[in-house]
Amino acid sequence: MSESAIETCLREVADWHVFDANVRMGRSGIHGGLALEPPELVVEMDRNGIEQALISHFTAVEYDAFEGNTALAQAVNQRLVPCWAALPETDFIKQLDERKPAAVRLYFAPLRHNFSPAPWCSGELCSFLQDGRILTLIAAEDIGWEALANLLENFPGLHVLLLEAGYRADRYLFPLLRKFPNLYFDSSTYLGHRQLECFVERFGPERIVFGSRLPLYTPGAALAVLATARISDQNKRAIGGGNLRSLLESSEQ
Amino acid sequence: MKSPVPIADCHGHIGVHPDFPSYKVEPAEMVQTMELLNIEILAVTSTRACYTDCPRGNAEVSEVLKRYPKQFRGYVTVNPQPQGEALRELEHWAHFHRPPLIKLHPYLHRYPVNGGGYRPVWDYANQTEAVVLVHTWDSDPACSPLLLLTIARDYPRTSIIMGHSGGTWNGYMQALEVGRQTPNTYLDITGSQSHRTILELLVKSVGADRILLGSDMPYLEAAVSLGRVLTAQIPDGAKEAILRNNFMRLLREG
Repeated sequence: MSESAIETCLREVADWHVFDANVRMGRSGIHGGLALEPPELVVEMDRNGIEQALISHFTAVEYDAFEGNTALAQAVNQRLVPCWAALPETDFIKQLDERKPAAVRLYFAPLRHNFSPAPWCSGELCSFLQDGRILTLIAAEDIGWEALANLLENFPGLHVLLLEAGYRADRYLFPLLRKFPNLYFDSSTYLGHRQLECFVERFGPERIVFGSRLPLYTPGAALAVLATARISDQNKRAIGGGNLRSLLESSEQ
Repeated sequence: MKSPVPIADCHGHIGVHPDFPSYKVEPAEMVQTMELLNIEILAVTSTRACYTDCPRGNAEVSEVLKRYPKQFRGYVTVNPQPQGEALRELEHWAHFHRPPLIKLHPYLHRYPVNGGGYRPVWDYANQTEAVVLVHTWDSDPACSPLLLLTIARDYPRTSIIMGHSGGTWNGYMQALEVGRQTPNTYLDITGSQSHRTILELLVKSVGADRILLGSDMPYLEAAVSLGRVLTAQIPDGAKEAILRNNFMRLLREG
């Protein structure tokens, strides 16, 4: 190779000012050595041309949401933007409110925070998130399609960023996107052949944001998918970071 | 982004899938993607053959090879059921490539790769020094990489590509174990699970010469595997081996 392959690979990425929507930090009992603390995480971000990341803490999902948020608060800075864990409990919502959150991540699954997205269980929490225009991240495997559709029906003002929808998702995803204008998704597992460019041809670039799944997966894969999509540079910049920045600014306002 | 070296991709398909919409799957559209990423050669399997109909699927591969002899190489996909069909298919399409390229999908054919029905196929593969691409997945009773340990020893003249290298992190560890113990097995990195640090671990454990780039195109986006290799923390020489040289050697081309 005539020059370092990684330099070739990442040259154009730098122009996108990448803001990664799907990053986690801290020690993990499940993922062992793949989990990274902030200093190593930032090294990986630098190596892959990722300017900023919306991060969650493994402790918040694997052990205790409050403790995870406390650890997250100590790590955040200009580049590591917090995505707080949230529980459907009045006291927890009050504590969360004090943090002035722009983004939260909900873990409904039984082996995670084990609660229902239905109004009888999450009504107070989802109303709080909806009223505050707080971007609400949910992994597809943590909710399921029917429950997601019900959540969006019940809270039409809730801005939901669906993580890891998967490349098999389109028969569910497209009708949901058409019906619910506040639904967005991340690109981390949207990896079908030419799927990203076909999506942009059909829906435009506004509903998809870049995600890598760092530190468990290499960002090189998702970055290469975006880099090789036959879409305009303007659209690459929107997906690479612009869309997420707009969503978070909307939350903060 | 484009590969700095022409890629020889060991794992592609032609056809569609029942469980999700496929995009730009026509061979002409695949060739456009190949030109975009600098994929010089793509070895393809018929997806129809993996699911339902090997004779018809292999015939479709034959048509693609006629139209695009420079870009595509063809696997003959065989199913141990119905009995006897597999050998007939291998002989009928023997002209696809020398050495033969054979694809087994024990998961979709619901038949274990070490079951008796596959024995004539393995005998044929051993006699012809075939390259056999086997779909593998973590601990799957039909296609765990670990099932290939005995097969690789019993049929030492075959070159066995462990498709997806077992897929998950644990699957990769199983494939790595097989790779460490058998010289005629290869790890194919095809897949959507691009585990961080795994490529570096593979290179360190079995050497870059035993790792192959596969894309699963047009099922998955080929840029996934390309991005993994280009951004891995391994020497450029290892990247070239994975992107091109290893599969060219198995094909006995170049």
